[in-house]
Amino acid sequence: MEMDSLPNGNSTAGGATAAALVSAPSSKLTQLAESLKLEHQFLRTPFEHYKKSIRANHRIVEKEMSAVISGVAEAADSNFSREEAVQHLNSLVSRLQGLKRKLEEGSRTEHLQAQRCRARLDHLESADVENLSEWNNTRMKRILVDYMLRMSYYDTAMELAESSNIQDLVDIDVFLDAKKVVDALQNKEVAPALAWCADNKSRLKKSKSKFEFQLRLQEFIEYVRAENNMRAIAYARKYLAPWGATHMKELQRVMATLAFKSTTECTTYKVLFEAKQWDYLVDQFKQEFFKLHGMTVEPLLTIYLQAGLSALKTPFCYEDDCTKEDPLSQESFRKLAMPLPFSKQHHSKLVCYITKELMDTENPPLVLPNGYVYSTKALEEMAKKNNGKITCPRTGFVCNYSELVKAYIS
Amino acid sequence: MELNTIKDAFDRVAKKQKLSTSRSQELIDQVGRELEQALTKIQAVPDPTIPIDQNSIIMELRTKLNAINPQSQLETTQKELNISLSKYPRLLEKSFVPDISKAYRNVDFDFHTVNQIILNHFYRQGLFDLGDCFINESNEPEPTTLKTQFLEMYQILDAMKSRNLDPALHWVSANREKLKQNDLNLEMKLHRLQFVEILQKGNRAEALNYARTYLAPFASIHMDEIQKLMACLLWAGRLESSPYAELMAPSHWEKIAVELAWQFCNLLGQSYESPLSVAIAAGVEGLPTLLKLANVMAGKRQEWLMMKQLPVPVDLGREFQFHSVFVCPVSRDQGSEENPPMLMPCGHVLCKQSIMKLSKSSTRTFKCPYCPHEATVAVCRQLHF
Repeated sequence: MEMDSLPNGNSTAGGATAAALVSAPSSKLTQLAESLKLEHQFLRTPFEHYKKSIRANHRIVEKEMSAVISGVAEAADSNFSREEAVQHLNSLVSRLQGLKRKLEEGSRTEHLQAQRCRARLDHLESADVENLSEWNNTRMKRILVDYMLRMSYYDTAMELAESSNIQDLVDIDVFLDAKKVVDALQNKEVAPALAWCADNKSRLKKSKSKFEFQLRLQEFIEYVRAENNMRAIAYARKYLAPWGATHMKELQRVMATLAFKSTTECTTYKVLFEAKQWDYLVDQFKQEFFKLHGMTVEPLLTIYLQAGLSALKTPFCYEDDCTKEDPLSQESFRKLAMPLPFSKQHHSKLVCYITKELMDTENPPLVLPNGYVYSTKALEEMAKKNNGKITCPRTGFVCNYSELVKAYIS
Repeated sequence: MELNTIKDAFDRVAKKQKLSTSRSQELIDQVGRELEQALTKIQAVPDPTIPIDQNSIIMELRTKLNAINPQSQLETTQKELNISLSKYPRLLEKSFVPDISKAYRNVDFDFHTVNQIILNHFYRQGLFDLGDCFINESNEPEPTTLKTQFLEMYQILDAMKSRNLDPALHWVSANREKLKQNDLNLEMKLHRLQFVEILQKGNRAEALNYARTYLAPFASIHMDEIQKLMACLLWAGRLESSPYAELMAPSHWEKIAVELAWQFCNLLGQSYESPLSVAIAAGVEGLPTLLKLANVMAGKRQEWLMMKQLPVPVDLGREFQFHSVFVCPVSRDQGSEENPPMLMPCGHVLCKQSIMKLSKSSTRTFKCPYCPHEATVAVCRQLHF
């Protein structure tokens, strides 16, 4: 018989609707299917890489082909001698041969990348209830490699990937591409970053990214810092002016630095000269890069860890006698979980202190005269071994099995 | 989500890409051939009657190439390929959760703490070289105590893999007192395994000696087991034909390795499972629910960040239930120090506040919401789960 619950002051209308819309899966298979749905990055990143190669290769073919065709047109318009004509045509032929080689090479790379995409799909398909613990182990390793790469611990990432043979399941090469740009930016060089922007021009434009603008602004500031004002102005004319239409305010602010020296104490402009601006550029780049490659901005590790900690967090975890099987019994986990919300239960879930098993209708809780509760299985076993006597493991209180009372928990 | 559909879609993309490549190759070959032909004509042995006009040959070449129009052909194939290339990601976004970081909270997640956790995880899994590499790159301090402890454990386990029980026996006898409390007969089991190993090599005398030294002390508790082992002496060197052949099964070794690891961690005050693995596994189970919640609360960013408790339950498997959580069936409040669960004489349990509310004052009797029994506050007992 269910009673209507009294209105709980804590739940908001949003919470109630949320509860109605959210239902948890129960069987292991549904569980597995749900967890596979979280693997978007796993499939998307290699595909974006594949797509990029295809487009880059095609651009080469287009460019070279155009050059050859226009080479012929040019020859037709000129009045070549026989030798000149032969020479010219030969150069076009060798250009075509070079293109053919590049195309073959590009095709091989594309094939490998396609293989990788397929390998990922196969890996997801291989997840089964039987090999679940091994598959989960692999996932743990994939998540760790992703973290290592994002933190720039490349050696560790490669060693972990190689030793567990998961090279096809991680995107080390994608991160190594990013590394070049990141390293340059940390060395105060914008050239690789600008080249990256040029490479991805159309997509960055689509997402209305202002990263290139920020790179140009930084270069401008560096000219001002070196007191190279004339060059700075020329630079601004060429590279900053086009962004004026959309980012005028920012442009004006940075242009104003011309009036100040890099050692200025004026706070608005002092901050623009700080070395921290380069760190900010690195972060911006990483964000744009991850977005473009279908990756999350946060490491997978922290995403899953936060979710897990919040789902596990109860006030009891912070008590001294918290069981050590609970990750939140550890200081480091407790620290990470501090700012996270506690988990919520809608139904009682009781765990026997002795056996750590769930106390439910199959193994109902029994109450000792002192109010302490243990599972039927545990107390029956104890009584069998001790002539029907029960000793409470937490208080030392002794009684008979016959004095125990059943508790009905819904 | 049908993986097969996605696989088929990808195969289509790969096929189109191969087509595009071969088309490009064909065009290159075609243009190349025309160029070669023109070249041959120009370089042909001159016939005194017909002068070679290279310019007209080249103009002819140009016309031919314009007729083939390779650029527009390349464009068409690429356009087709582009369509497939943009269809596939859309399929992925439909079949998978496009952004799992939607439920992420931008709170202070100290990466030093995370690194420490990862380091501990590596040591637990026996990945000591990886741990060293990680320390090098991350500049985190080395947790030497934990490292030495797990090094010892893996040394014992590795020795056991090559059927060497000496380190294990050494450790067990050194920690005999503490292990006794857990009552798992680890020492006896190890000695039994060792005895069977010696016996398998056919050395009856050595086996007997071993039994006298190491099995005898356990006689009082494990008499029947020892009797069985003594009987095995009759089949020294050919245990496979004895009725006790199953004692040779490799599963014994695996099981005992697990037991020893469990005991080892237990004595160290550590859990058996890596806490990082547990937390991540919980995260994998709980994230879909949290993402749905984040979606529903999309417009209420402040509320999302400020909440002290999740408004919906995140159902995790049994293995993640480490604490008893009592939820009052009437108020749906969770049991706590201030509001503990109370047992009514009828056997039903409500939280203290609900009972106080039902009794309106402390001495009136009230009826249990679930059965006809009546009770007063005084006869309700506080429960400790």
